[in-house]
Amino acid sequence: MRRRFSNSMLGMFVALSFSSVLHAQKAAQPSDQAKAAAKGESAPAPVHDLTGVWMMRNPPGSNRGFTNYTFTKDLPELTPWGAAKYAEAKASNGGEFTLKTTNDPVLTKCDPPGVPRVYFHPYPFEFVHTPKYTLMLYEYDHTVRRIYTDGRPIPKDPDLLWMGTSVGHWEGDTTLVVDTVGFNDKTWLDRLGHPHSDQLHVIERFRRVNMDHLELDISMEDPKALVKPWTTTFYYQLRPNWELGEISCSGDYLDFSNFEK
Amino acid sequence: MRAKSFVLLMGVAAVLTVSRSTLAHHGTAAYDTKTIVTVKGTMTDFHFINPHVQLFFDVKNDKGEVEKWQAELTAPNKLSRAGWDKYTLKPGDSITASGYISKNDPHTMWINKLIGPDGQALHLFEE
Repeated sequence: MRRRFSNSMLGMFVALSFSSVLHAQKAAQPSDQAKAAAKGESAPAPVHDLTGVWMMRNPPGSNRGFTNYTFTKDLPELTPWGAAKYAEAKASNGGEFTLKTTNDPVLTKCDPPGVPRVYFHPYPFEFVHTPKYTLMLYEYDHTVRRIYTDGRPIPKDPDLLWMGTSVGHWEGDTTLVVDTVGFNDKTWLDRLGHPHSDQLHVIERFRRVNMDHLELDISMEDPKALVKPWTTTFYYQLRPNWELGEISCSGDYLDFSNFEK
Repeated sequence: MRAKSFVLLMGVAAVLTVSRSTLAHHGTAAYDTKTIVTVKGTMTDFHFINPHVQLFFDVKNDKGEVEKWQAELTAPNKLSRAGWDKYTLKPGDSITASGYISKNDPHTMWINKLIGPDGQALHLFEE
């Protein structure tokens, strides 16, 4: 394997070297990017473009200590309705669980994760832009979100869906703002089991701070479950050489309990 | 000849160095994460499948008896991005695996470090 890996790396190096020679003859920009990357820097973000595969990262000072299961160190104040539902939740927290000890609907029933619960899977996602909508493809369980960018308003009486209904617009050159409503109330907000209702409104601000780095501000508003909006920031890094694979929940996950016997 | 000896190592320091980034759909609650065990074995089967890659191998214990072991790694997607494929390990390959042992099955392991047939450590992380 190691030899095969080394060979593939050598091939990649040759291909990249050859490619950069060709590109250098056409435009200066790829060469500038290569120089920036070599110095550990990043080129400026392109305009209205999040295309590519992104993976979570944990910059120094980030809230990594708890972002693998919830959003903030201080947990949100819940309404009585929200607190009652939260009391029923058995967390899938930080690895300290098995399929028998949690009732996380994603892990025990393969329910779609919802938003923003989907960000607690340790897998990348990809943006694909089209003229009238942007697709978000999450590697986890083929989860797809269609974010309409054709100027339509956010629906006032949406059907209730696992991943909601999303509209997006650009603020400035590099920030995509996504509003999502119309969730059913079957998913959790995080892996601790914080609940939401069908009144949940999620606002995601995808800020591409440069070519390689994306910051995602998430705001959850739900007057039925949360006393006030719950906000956080997650961090992502562009992975130009990655491709999304297949992570299917289905029986693959549920059958795996034989390793937890 | 390959040496197939059963080696047991305990080290809190080693535990502290183990990344938790391999955690995928289920956690390590089923495993004793306070102890790192290292065994040498011979592969009998290799499943490059979701949600976690599975290894099956024989280990000869200090009494000379052959024990049937199973172990898991992270998701195949992540290992693919670390250079793996479904042919990376095959029956007959000699491996040395280190990791956590299941609380309920002394022959089930969550692998944190893996030495392949060529004596080199295999990449277990996509980063």
